[in-house]
Amino acid sequence: MTEPSTSASMMHPTPRNDSPAAASAPAQKPSTAIIRKHHLLVRWSHWLNVPILLGLILSGMSIYWASPVYQHNPDPSTGNVDYVADIGTWICAHVPGLHHYSSPPDWIYNHMSLGPYLLANALRVHWFFAYLFMLNGLVYILGLALSGDWRALLPRLTDLRDAAKMQLYYIGKPFAVLLRRTWLHPRFTTKYNALQRVAYFSMPVAACLSIATGWSIHKPMQLHWLAAIFGGYNAARMWHFWLMWLFILFVVPHVVLVLTDGWDTLRSMIAGWSARVHGSEGFENER
Amino acid sequence: MSADENDSQAKQKPEELPSADKRPRPLPKAGRFFEEQTPKIFEAAPRALRRLTRRDLLIFGAGSLGALAGFGYLLPQDTLDRLGVHANLDTPRKERFLNHALSFDDDVAEALYSPNRTVATYSKSQITPLRNNYEGLTPDPSYIPGWRLQLEGLASGLTLSLDLHTLLARFQLHEQITRLVCVEGWSAIAWWSGLKFADLLQAYPPVSQARWASVNSSLNLDEDGNPDPYYASLDLATARHPQTLLATHFNGQSLTVDHGAPLRLLVPVKLGLKNVKAVTKITYTADQPNDYWAERGYSHYDGI
Repeated sequence: MTEPSTSASMMHPTPRNDSPAAASAPAQKPSTAIIRKHHLLVRWSHWLNVPILLGLILSGMSIYWASPVYQHNPDPSTGNVDYVADIGTWICAHVPGLHHYSSPPDWIYNHMSLGPYLLANALRVHWFFAYLFMLNGLVYILGLALSGDWRALLPRLTDLRDAAKMQLYYIGKPFAVLLRRTWLHPRFTTKYNALQRVAYFSMPVAACLSIATGWSIHKPMQLHWLAAIFGGYNAARMWHFWLMWLFILFVVPHVVLVLTDGWDTLRSMIAGWSARVHGSEGFENER
Repeated sequence: MSADENDSQAKQKPEELPSADKRPRPLPKAGRFFEEQTPKIFEAAPRALRRLTRRDLLIFGAGSLGALAGFGYLLPQDTLDRLGVHANLDTPRKERFLNHALSFDDDVAEALYSPNRTVATYSKSQITPLRNNYEGLTPDPSYIPGWRLQLEGLASGLTLSLDLHTLLARFQLHEQITRLVCVEGWSAIAWWSGLKFADLLQAYPPVSQARWASVNSSLNLDEDGNPDPYYASLDLATARHPQTLLATHFNGQSLTVDHGAPLRLLVPVKLGLKNVKAVTKITYTADQPNDYWAERGYSHYDGI
């Protein structure tokens, strides 16, 4: 732990008066200390997930429309059995400007899927993106293996305590800002803090589960054993549905947090390097 | 870096090593492999970093735009219309491209198929209701007494016309409680009995070059009650599967008109849409025959 940080301070461009090196080399070239953050393959597969997941979710909801997992008894007037259609109807009745929407039960499907009555199209698009998703997952795993970065994603025993610390930080931060108090970010020397690790580790796990449940719905006879792991064909459909929501629930805070964290984090997923060489950059003043 | 490597380096250039590295290092532990490594710190000129970032930003930006364009291109025309893109992107090329995805998936399904692997069977307590899934109107049952099964493409060169009595007298009936899975996603566990398709193939062998069966029902109707013949292609490998039946009974009773009286195809290793109701003709062919739903954008093979 000590070795790299000493070398970092030696190489750091901050001029120090007492340093003999700085005194003897007055025309020192400005340089920036950086670390490699994400492997090229990890970066590409990360961004490719955007169109792939979008394609999978949009076509997946069109497939869901054909036979909704969550059904109730038929509505006496409309014959509707689908809770998702009910949500659309509710939205059109309560959101101003949508009162005259032509087909309220289809509102969700028209906005969160390829559209209703497109099952054949949706299946074709879903298979296309599903095979891409699996290929992309292999690229991601290859990138993790080549860079050794998979180690940074592994959960560890200290995660429970550290996750609690981070949670406390996030809960207290808004109050600290309001009260104009300093509220220090817990210091971590690892690539990710415990909460990030949970989030970033859960995504490949969720992807594997999505693929496994997807196959068990797609080939419930030949891969009967796979469907049985998830509690059978019908249960696997529910798993597959809720795993989609896990991706959506991940993406929203993911994007918000990256944008608030700043350019360095976003750049590291594009260019691959970060100028934050000390893990979570000195929020908790120890130096 | 292993301890050995350090030693050899130390022997080669001892004078270049900083004093701190001369201290003996602890031997690597087995658990070390899983331990997160401290990142190496590099020095880079800010100008070079800016150039690299600009380059990567442009490459990734171009890649994203390309991916987005490709993604938009693949959307169905109905979706594009709703998004305000009224240019017709439904070109034959796009169709071919997406159909490649479909046929690739069919190839995977065919590779997964094994004539020896049987599907799960259930007990009578697990039976669930099965709806009448006729797309159009359900045919009037008056056809049942005069019903015949026609067989074409036989090795004998004859066209056979069999009635239900002949079939029931000649073939042994088999019972099975299996799941029927619809392409829409719903499924039902039902109790069927009927003759094995494999037995029919043995009794009336098809021409030697036949690889497909075209299973037809001339009794199918559209929503207005007009004749809308239904036909499914079935590869003979699947037709010979031990659980592929020509079912005559449902829940221990003779088939009702809802479920395709008096004889329907029951092929649990395929999607429900291959399970043709009220079969009137089976034709054996060398080439893949037409398929009602494949013509409407669904897959040809439909193996599950």
